Amino acid sequence: MAAERSKRYEKIEFLGEGQFATVYKARDKEFNDRIVAVKKIKIGTRVEAEDGINRTALREIKILQEISHPNVIGLLDVFGRRSNVSLVFDYMHFDLEVIIKDQSVIFLPSHIKNYLMQTLRGLEYLHANWILHRDMKPNNLLINNDGVLKIGDFGLAKVFGSPDRIYTHQVVTRWYRSPELLYGARQYGTGVDIWATACILAELLLRVPFVAGDSDLNQLSKIFEALGTPKEDDWPEMTQLPDYIEFKYQEGTPLKQIFTAAGQDLLDLLESMFKFDPLRRCTAAEALKMDYFSSNPQPTANSSLPKPTQPSNVLKEPNIIKPGMKRKLEPGESDPCKRLLF
Amino acid sequence: MDDIQCPRCKTTKYRNPSLKLLVNVCGHPLCHTCVEFLFTRGSGPCPECGISLRKQKFRLQTFEDSYIEKEVDIRKRILKDFNKREEDFLTLAEYNDYLEEVENIVFNLTNEVDVEETNRKVEEYRRANQEIITRNRSKLSKDEEFLSRLIEDEKMQKENWNKFIQREEAENEEQKKKRKEALLEELTTSTLSADKIINAHKKEEKEVKRQTEFSTGISVGARLNVKAEVKIEYEQYSYIPIERDMCGPEVGEEEELLDLGYATRESLEMTKPSDKAGGYRPLYHLQRSLEDAFCGLFFHSIQDSAMDTGL
Repeated sequence: MAAERSKRYEKIEFLGEGQFATVYKARDKEFNDRIVAVKKIKIGTRVEAEDGINRTALREIKILQEISHPNVIGLLDVFGRRSNVSLVFDYMHFDLEVIIKDQSVIFLPSHIKNYLMQTLRGLEYLHANWILHRDMKPNNLLINNDGVLKIGDFGLAKVFGSPDRIYTHQVVTRWYRSPELLYGARQYGTGVDIWATACILAELLLRVPFVAGDSDLNQLSKIFEALGTPKEDDWPEMTQLPDYIEFKYQEGTPLKQIFTAAGQDLLDLLESMFKFDPLRRCTAAEALKMDYFSSNPQPTANSSLPKPTQPSNVLKEPNIIKPGMKRKLEPGESDPCKRLLF
Repeated sequence: MDDIQCPRCKTTKYRNPSLKLLVNVCGHPLCHTCVEFLFTRGSGPCPECGISLRKQKFRLQTFEDSYIEKEVDIRKRILKDFNKREEDFLTLAEYNDYLEEVENIVFNLTNEVDVEETNRKVEEYRRANQEIITRNRSKLSKDEEFLSRLIEDEKMQKENWNKFIQREEAENEEQKKKRKEALLEELTTSTLSADKIINAHKKEEKEVKRQTEFSTGISVGARLNVKAEVKIEYEQYSYIPIERDMCGPEVGEEEELLDLGYATRESLEMTKPSDKAGGYRPLYHLQRSLEDAFCGLFFHSIQDSAMDTGL
């Protein structure tokens, strides 16, 4: 059975490799030869193989099997034998990080509006279905040539809404990690994904990561440097968080001065997504209802979104991808250093 | 997580970062030092349940819940003997019965129900099926072989990859050397001024570098090729609420749930301060539990609805 299933997908080319998986572009011979991405989970050592399926893969399968939304990556199939598992995903041509880094691409305000709209729609759907993604970053926002953006990589995603369950705070790539996680919160909510999305929005506007700390403490001090140190009024009970440390008070820079090109409606959105108190931070649904989206300019149609100027096969050739790179671009792949074992 | 603690000496992961919890057949954890201390003579009773344990049998704890740890351990032991496969049965029903039997045994041993009776059953089975067990064990090793092959493949791939990188690096190094030599050569032979030659070489070098600058293949500062103005199309935005077919009554928002008496305002405020600061809402739990409870209440199978309409 498993052998037949794997024959269904004909390998076209190697796309990339991470710590936990290798990704191939493949043709689905039983579905009009559609192009898919096959993520083959590595077995690793014999000891790991004895444990059965890799946990992150299991998490992805468990969560993605149950959901379907245009802005969330589709898990099309899973096949394998024993510890050898492959996941079949929608094929996505590039990701948001590539676009942000490609300096020849010029963003119009309406492009940014579209990216953010698609991201938040996907996120709203996940949150409505009680799923926290916990690893939102440009690298995980995958885009296909039709301009459809899909949230990918559910290796850290988790179902939320049950009390008495302790969550680890070591999630989300540091630059996109919210202050409550940096302070070690063990119970948290949708706010962590919203904060990360706000960082992505800021990155779209600035074209460089908004707050790029090199350690957890440095990350916090960078956040406070930019947005001002929160006071008890801004964030009640923050001193009760497990890893709370008092920081030197800083005034912060008004958002208007950081994002000089942004209009008032965009600044309002940024401000409500960057609220220190996660309970006051807006939800994905609230964000989508804000003036920014309905006011002019309207978001571009997906088909008018920019594409990387280099042909995509240049991007994906194996000799260009160097191991040990800090941030990578394979679809469905992620930074090896942030993976966790529970 | 840092909350790991040895139940006997109360050492935590925080105080001793190298703390490792070990478990034995009963599933009760002990830290490494305690095991060394208590079982210096090779065997002794478990401080938790008094069952006699052998030091050799201690192994690293995988699951925090000792019950699960114990279950996994027992399952492993049982499956060593109960290794029949679907092919060994004539019908699927027989195979299913067999699987259920195995589950029963595992459950009984884990929960200490009829332990003696169950152990006797296991022993009986082992004697009766000696032949099949040994045969299937050797079959299992075929599966193992398959696994080893996969692991081997993976290793090979990695090696090739590393070789490839090394070769690439060596090539780069080589080129650098060559360029340096060329520069020296030119400086000694050419009639142009030294500055000019050096500048020309620097420029060349930069170009070579730029190609490899970004591992994404995007060169830094690449300029937009002149393109005809593309007509940009816009989408008329409107907020579309998420539609979810729960096949049951709608779970409302906070105010509605309060009105309906599912919770009081106080109960929705009751959280630990640290959870509140972390952004946890008791409302999440309420809404999710209600959703779980309501979901599917309106479910009609096709048959039912056909009967309803009298078809």
